[in-house]
Amino acid sequence: MNKNFFSITNLLLPLAACCFFSCKEEVVEYQTNICKQMPQFVRQMGFPPGNSFFSTTDTRKMGLVLKQSAQVNNPNAGIVKEYQHPSWRSGGWLAPILLDEQGNIYTAPAPFVNVLNNPNNKNNTIFKVDNQTGIMQEWLPLPQQDSTIQNPFGIIGMVYLCETQTLYVSSVAGSDRQNERGAIYAVDIKSKKIIDKITGTDAMGMGISYTEGKRKLYFGTGRSSDIYAVLLSKEGKFATKPAVSFSVAGLGERGDDKVRRIFNNKDGTLTVAGFEFNYNLIAPREKQETPYQFSYDEETAAWVFIK
Amino acid sequence: MKLKSSAALIFFTAIFFSCSNNNNTVTKHAPYNAEAVNAILLDVDSISNATEAISRAEKIKAVLQTSIPVLLCGDSLNNNQQTAQQLALADTVFTQYFFDPYSKKPFLNEVFGVYPARQSDMPMVKIAYNLPTTFKVEMYNYALNNTAIALVDVQQQKVLHRYVLPKTQPDVSGYLKKLAINIAIESKEVQNALGIKPTEKDALMASTQTALNRSRCERSKHLCVAPTFIKGDKALWAIVDLTDSRLVGIRWTNTGSTGPAEKLITERRLQDDKITSCYCEVEQTLKRNGWDMQYMLTSSDGLRISNVNFNGNPVLKSAKLVDWHVSYSGTDGFGYSDAVGCPYFSQSAVVAWEIPKIAELKNDNNETVGFVLEQVFRSEGWPTPCNYNYRQRYEFYNDGRFRTACASIGRGCGNTGTYRPVFRIAFAGNQNNFYQWQQNNWSQWQTEKWNEQTALSDYTAEGYMYKVGNNNNSYFIEPGKGQFGDGGRGDFSFLYVTKNAAGKDEGESDLPTIGPCCNTDYHQGPEKFIEPNAENITNSGLVVWYVAQLRNNDAKGQEYCWAESVVENGVYKTKTYPCFCGPMFIPVKK
Repeated sequence: MNKNFFSITNLLLPLAACCFFSCKEEVVEYQTNICKQMPQFVRQMGFPPGNSFFSTTDTRKMGLVLKQSAQVNNPNAGIVKEYQHPSWRSGGWLAPILLDEQGNIYTAPAPFVNVLNNPNNKNNTIFKVDNQTGIMQEWLPLPQQDSTIQNPFGIIGMVYLCETQTLYVSSVAGSDRQNERGAIYAVDIKSKKIIDKITGTDAMGMGISYTEGKRKLYFGTGRSSDIYAVLLSKEGKFATKPAVSFSVAGLGERGDDKVRRIFNNKDGTLTVAGFEFNYNLIAPREKQETPYQFSYDEETAAWVFIK
Repeated sequence: MKLKSSAALIFFTAIFFSCSNNNNTVTKHAPYNAEAVNAILLDVDSISNATEAISRAEKIKAVLQTSIPVLLCGDSLNNNQQTAQQLALADTVFTQYFFDPYSKKPFLNEVFGVYPARQSDMPMVKIAYNLPTTFKVEMYNYALNNTAIALVDVQQQKVLHRYVLPKTQPDVSGYLKKLAINIAIESKEVQNALGIKPTEKDALMASTQTALNRSRCERSKHLCVAPTFIKGDKALWAIVDLTDSRLVGIRWTNTGSTGPAEKLITERRLQDDKITSCYCEVEQTLKRNGWDMQYMLTSSDGLRISNVNFNGNPVLKSAKLVDWHVSYSGTDGFGYSDAVGCPYFSQSAVVAWEIPKIAELKNDNNETVGFVLEQVFRSEGWPTPCNYNYRQRYEFYNDGRFRTACASIGRGCGNTGTYRPVFRIAFAGNQNNFYQWQQNNWSQWQTEKWNEQTALSDYTAEGYMYKVGNNNNSYFIEPGKGQFGDGGRGDFSFLYVTKNAAGKDEGESDLPTIGPCCNTDYHQGPEKFIEPNAENITNSGLVVWYVAQLRNNDAKGQEYCWAESVVENGVYKTKTYPCFCGPMFIPVKK
């Protein structure tokens, strides 16, 4: 049984280390946004980076877990070693995992089956694991309503823009059926300040991609199968209003998937991971994830469904 | 029915995005419209009376007796197409899923179409072929919900290539379209909605144009289509399940000529919108056999009843099912705390797909002795492993007795599971007292406390263990010992009594999960309202918490809290072994 609700399942280390800061702000390349580094404590603890990864998807271990796979680059091979710092359980069940260029880990709570270990007032708080000490602490509570009895979720997704060291965090906290109070926050990790936000949208899975030399944040919402795009400025702020870019409506087994994650592939295509989401706590095992791949057609300036 | 909806007829979504602003925008979504509220969901066990559905059932029975359990394509085929169909059905790979590998029972298959192959169908074909004489045969397996494809060159009398697409449904044949329309127009729900009894011809007339929309049955994983009847500026969607040949439900939509297109009506949307709009967002009133009450589905406490009166006398303030704790003894600390409730915007792990049912309660002599109010909650994958099905049932008798009951119907993650449902039952009045039968006497509880029903527990001659109430209105409490004739084998319950202090929320509002999965003692959650300082409960408002302990069993002939899939008439059906539990409350005669 896999617990893979919103989680970045297999974040293999080492992640690509190159990070090119572009001087041409008008034309930015895909490679610009690959900068994640392994935390220093991983090696110090005797975990070989090539076949070690962090997970929040273990159904029997709450929180963040460091695992060593039997094979390099294959997290599905047997697990030979595991480690969990006591502080890694302090946020309850967690979902997103994101590493910055120093190896700091950002994560956030997300209830798993029930809210026993995920109190409503913590589900909209970013936690950080220090790359040196490995200690996890509350880092930044987001300024939006707590999750509620109707909606147990808060933070859903995270992506990182290397150029500007901006962490984008999506949240559906405080929303109910008639009031959409979710948001995307752009957080400058150096100053720990929110530098911009989009509100009134239950943003979920996000991804950053570069089309026509521009950096764009793509995101799905909890309310539809559409994927929105918003242009990002060189400071990492939102430069345009979000607009529907493409959709997974009608695709796949269910036809009304919501976006769990968006991956930017090396060939420039986008993979949208879709799943069923109805703001409830139906167990993740029931929520089959379906990948939908899209390529950018420069002639029509549109994302086209491939498979 | 109380309904919050305004005059808004269209479910609109006004989206206002802000860019670099400092204010938090809230996007408003309209209340459900009348179409969602007035949608009709049919019982999952319902059957169609359409002549075509009945004759199809006979055809299915007959074909399942043969060695090739396949309904041949119902559309007219030319000679080449028929040859292609026969050649495909002789191919062992194409027909590999004809039988259940375990029971050896046949699965129902049907050829939906035989089409001239196109060049785009051929990339996987690595041998020579003649495209004009090559056909694509599409066959659907109703049990496995998969599609087998064969590319057949009739000139060569050869299957060139074949493959199976899991979780895929081919385009339905003309014959099946006709069947779906017939099931729809023969149903009284569609007839009542349209105001006429349409014939198939009527259905195709301009006044009630019928289109066959693709729909989805996401939860049952059945093949579904939606004959849609246009009337004025509205469309009536009738979702038809072709796997079970029955109507799933109907719903009107506004067609309109402007504005965004209406979202596809599917099984899940029909269910979720109906349940949310009618039972999660509003309370319903129920008056029957001297009883009156309100009821509604909660976010995480199951089906809640409130303000329950019998013959005008207050009985209960409320009753609800707070949690299901499921622990597996094979693995330390492994299990789940499941909340049950609404399907949309809730803290529930197992949700309602069907509306609450109200039915007559009959005794062994088939005499009506009261009525039941029942709700089913289920996982989509049930009865496959690690999926759950819970039933909550209130029984109300004409003589004033009532029972709060529930059952697990498996299947869970293994055969070492113990289910512990947590009931909260708040009695009306604020001058109640609580007693336990001990050593041939009623002994009063002075303070909040708990007790376990064991082999050594004392019962009155009638089987009563506790008594609750006041001078005007009291009830004996009879825990389950396997005596209620519903298959229950005894509750082995923990019972807690806590004070329901006025002006304080002692669990009356929707509760989040109150206990962990795997405690085997009295630490099931209600003790949090007792410890560390138990309050005096004499002459007080009282809450009775009742936690049964039900051990599942998958041994042949002894199944309990269990379910399994069996192949019946070519498709999977579920055999259930519920473990009902819950106490009976019997009025104390003055």
